[in-house]
Amino acid sequence: MNDTSGAGSRRPVIAGLGLTEMGKVYGRSPAEFAADAVRRAAQDAGLRLSDIDGLLFSNGVGGGVGLTLQRELGLRDLRMLSEVQAYGSTAGAMVQYASMAVQSGMVDTVACVFADAPLREKGSAGAVYSSGLKFTGWQLLDFASGLSGANPMYALAARRHMDTYGTTSEQFAHIAVAQRAWAAKNPLAQMREPITVEDHQNSRMISDPFRLLDCCLVSNGGAAVIVTSADRAADLRQPAVHVLGWGQAHPGYEMGRGTDFGLVSGAATAGPAAMKMAGVGPADIDIAEIYDCYTYTVLITLEDYGFCAKGEGGAFVSSGVLGPEGSFPLNTGGGELSSYYMWGMTPLSEAVIQARGQGGERQVAKNDLVLVSGNGGVLDHHSTLVLSPHPHS
Amino acid sequence: MTVGIMQRDPATTEFFDGTARGELLIRRCADCGHHSAPRCETCPACGSAALDRVPAKGTGTIASWTLVHGRPPRDGGPAPVTAVVVVELDEGPWLHSQVITDAPQEVRTGFRVAVDFERPEGGEAIPVFRLAPDAVSA
Repeated sequence: MNDTSGAGSRRPVIAGLGLTEMGKVYGRSPAEFAADAVRRAAQDAGLRLSDIDGLLFSNGVGGGVGLTLQRELGLRDLRMLSEVQAYGSTAGAMVQYASMAVQSGMVDTVACVFADAPLREKGSAGAVYSSGLKFTGWQLLDFASGLSGANPMYALAARRHMDTYGTTSEQFAHIAVAQRAWAAKNPLAQMREPITVEDHQNSRMISDPFRLLDCCLVSNGGAAVIVTSADRAADLRQPAVHVLGWGQAHPGYEMGRGTDFGLVSGAATAGPAAMKMAGVGPADIDIAEIYDCYTYTVLITLEDYGFCAKGEGGAFVSSGVLGPEGSFPLNTGGGELSSYYMWGMTPLSEAVIQARGQGGERQVAKNDLVLVSGNGGVLDHHSTLVLSPHPHS
Repeated sequence: MTVGIMQRDPATTEFFDGTARGELLIRRCADCGHHSAPRCETCPACGSAALDRVPAKGTGTIASWTLVHGRPPRDGGPAPVTAVVVVELDEGPWLHSQVITDAPQEVRTGFRVAVDFERPEGGEAIPVFRLAPDAVSA
């Protein structure tokens, strides 16, 4: 492809989105979901698979997606091929690496894909989550001590926030209720029955303070996006979604006296970096698609991005601004709590849909700037993207 | 619940030699004296890799807590509840553990605790905590 119109033409955009059937979909491996998602993303963009010259892939807990994905898709002459792993921040990170590769001229068109299939027809997903992870001795000690996975780890973080700032379970409930109201308008969402704060408060206790309705879904499926240059996207099928800014943060908390664990996340670093790159601030953001493994994760991320002051997240989310009738469009597809759990692809996919103006009944009228977060580990890894239907002004 | 059964690996050998003796070994930097968690390999304060293993006093304060609700048993009895906590040891490092108590619902941030060791058959001795007699320091 000729790049004759200056550096601007190599600015990165998302030109394709591919979502497989998701949820309780059995009998398909993560590798099959991944290949399906890439095919759908290429088709969505109006590209042939042979147009793809870069492939980044991301495994969930079950593994199973490998370098052989190239052969499974029949991709030849790739100029970039790699697995990326930073847990829930990976989707955002893949878009960032793809964007830099496109800008540099190393590649033209990169497929970024996530797939996982932790759900079995019989048996709990939790068992797959536990057995699928590779533990060293120290991590085994956590399990032997009673820390059975992510629920108690995040609960300990949330409790610290509650102890320090007075955040309450009822405030967490407002996030779950608002996202369910959005999900009711999303045909892709798995959970579409409206819920109330009372329903949240009556749902089964999982790991105090988290009740069932504080916790994300678990889904089988795959999701992919195509990153290319603005120039290349100009004659493709879909409206281009411009990647205006990005950032990452990996705090490496010292687990000891004086740590910020549970109080301040990597969003406090990655968010301002991404917004600075885009030349915008929190007040300019029209739509926020925030990683929501738990309700609490949304709350701390909103604080760290500067949508409200530190410690005031609880008051902010319960002030009536959330939900389809509110003034602050947040997790407009229902998020991981109510739509589908594809790690960072959940907020990213909804951001692409909203930036394109393809949200149907749930489309937000003003969609000029969409902020996307990814969060992985136990607040250990964070990625931020600023997306827009418009190029840099 | 009680603790799980686990075996040592090369990284945890010295630690479990300690728990077998009834000692909770943490790291102390040979260069700057900063105490860090048992699994630390690099001093968080100065970056040194010269970390000794020293016994902690074994006392600390609950920095955060959660009650993990298990599944109800098939015979219809009450669901098991475990008080999982972060203990801030008096030396400074945090330890994820559980409090062994008849009343897990009463565990709160700020309570004083002291280490004990569960010794499941066929596995390593695992550090746990019990509420100190003067648990409520506030």
